[in-house]
Amino acid sequence: MFSVRVADARAFRDILSAISTLVDEGTFYITEEGIRLRAMDPSRVAMVDFAMNKSAFDEYVSSGELKMCIDIGELLKLLRRAGRESVELFLDEETGQLKVTIRGKYTRTFSMPTLEASEEEVPTPRITFNVKATLTTDGLHQALEDVSLVSEHVRIEAEGDRIVMNAKGELMGVNIELDKGSDALISLEVKEPSRATFSLSYLSEIVKAAASTSDVVTMEFSTDMPIRLDFKQQYDGKLIYYLAPRIEVE
Amino acid sequence: MSEETIEVLRNPPLQDAARTITDGLRSHRTLLIIGNCRVDYQGRASSKLKPGDRMVIIKRDGSVLVHRPTGYDPVNWQPPGCKLQAYTEKGNLIVRAVRERPRETITIQFNKLYLLTSMALIDRGEFSLYASEEDMQRAVLLHPDLIEEGFKPITYEKKVEPGFIDVYGMDRDGRLVIVEIKRGTAGREAVLQLAKYIGSVKGEVNREVRGILAAPQLAKGAQKMLITLGLEYKRLDPKRCAELLRRSSVRKISEFL
Repeated sequence: MFSVRVADARAFRDILSAISTLVDEGTFYITEEGIRLRAMDPSRVAMVDFAMNKSAFDEYVSSGELKMCIDIGELLKLLRRAGRESVELFLDEETGQLKVTIRGKYTRTFSMPTLEASEEEVPTPRITFNVKATLTTDGLHQALEDVSLVSEHVRIEAEGDRIVMNAKGELMGVNIELDKGSDALISLEVKEPSRATFSLSYLSEIVKAAASTSDVVTMEFSTDMPIRLDFKQQYDGKLIYYLAPRIEVE
Repeated sequence: MSEETIEVLRNPPLQDAARTITDGLRSHRTLLIIGNCRVDYQGRASSKLKPGDRMVIIKRDGSVLVHRPTGYDPVNWQPPGCKLQAYTEKGNLIVRAVRERPRETITIQFNKLYLLTSMALIDRGEFSLYASEEDMQRAVLLHPDLIEEGFKPITYEKKVEPGFIDVYGMDRDGRLVIVEIKRGTAGREAVLQLAKYIGSVKGEVNREVRGILAAPQLAKGAQKMLITLGLEYKRLDPKRCAELLRRSSVRKISEFL
């Protein structure tokens, strides 16, 4: 049995939208405590680790544990029709259909098929991070937008009280400095000066999509290791991304 | 006969060179002969190469390559297993390589030698040719356009009743696409395998499902079967996949789990 309701569809839609930047078919683990999803993108470069606990929903009923795999893009299409109306999800375990009811000026109930759940349970990467920075999501988003004007990847470095983003394109280059205490960089702990390069097609997409769900992001990284982006959520739950680095080839 | 790993003769008299080459051939050494020569080839076709400075390589398996100072491919060559002989005749050094079947003969006639090296080379390194099937799958996931424009992978190694689908995705019109990748020539078995996956997925989703067999080439007979079953073929070159993968230096998050 699984049935939930959110009074305003927007936040839920934004979260699914953020997940869908990496995952098209998502397997959600549903327990009495809440729902979670952890998955890599098809090319295995990035991972999303999501959870939304029971209290984040306006109504939450679930008995036992189950897996539900859905085409997130299809569900998003339905949710986009919902505006700020209330949405109910009900999983009919007998038919394998997910019923999506949107209640506003009128009531409509869509049904969509669930897919075969993935058996793979991915662990999260085990990494010791030497840099921990808290930024405004908008600040990070804007900085990456700047970088994307000149290059397809960005080198992020942290040393002392500063984060530097560097990119070199074929013709142009950019250097961005984020100082501790500035409007963009709220806090910074550097155990060891570190640097790593990331593909902007992933990083920008992730940050852009997650920006609508969160104002503050904690970014952790180490030299040539994956970056971890923890977007602080208003609701009881989490939305964390991991992205593998690029190897710098000169 | 020389036991040295590498024996080098600079500007050797042709008589000495003939002896060194003969010894080298007998003990299956690799020979590099640089000098001014003309080359005659008789066999399935025939060719004549006027005198010039050339590098001739005779490998220990009896393959022969005649290289000019430019170009990456040899101007004349013989495959492994040739019968080789070297001797002097009318003041020239003759190296003859004869292939039995089809009968083909290369006669290289040196009037001057600059350098002769006779080498006992050891090479046990493994060579991996281009991409493996898994690499090809990764290349498709990173560059879905390899399959077709607008193709969007949804998942890989998707488990269905008869096995695992290599790449499962959607085309630009929103139709489901199942891609089966083969590293070598795809035969009827590959076509059947793809058809089974399609049957299995169709039973599940009740909508149109396209099947694409991606391989460097299609075996005879497989094409007819493919058409009969309403499936498609896309040429996918392992070499191209390998190039694309080399260029993309993005690591995998799965390496860090």
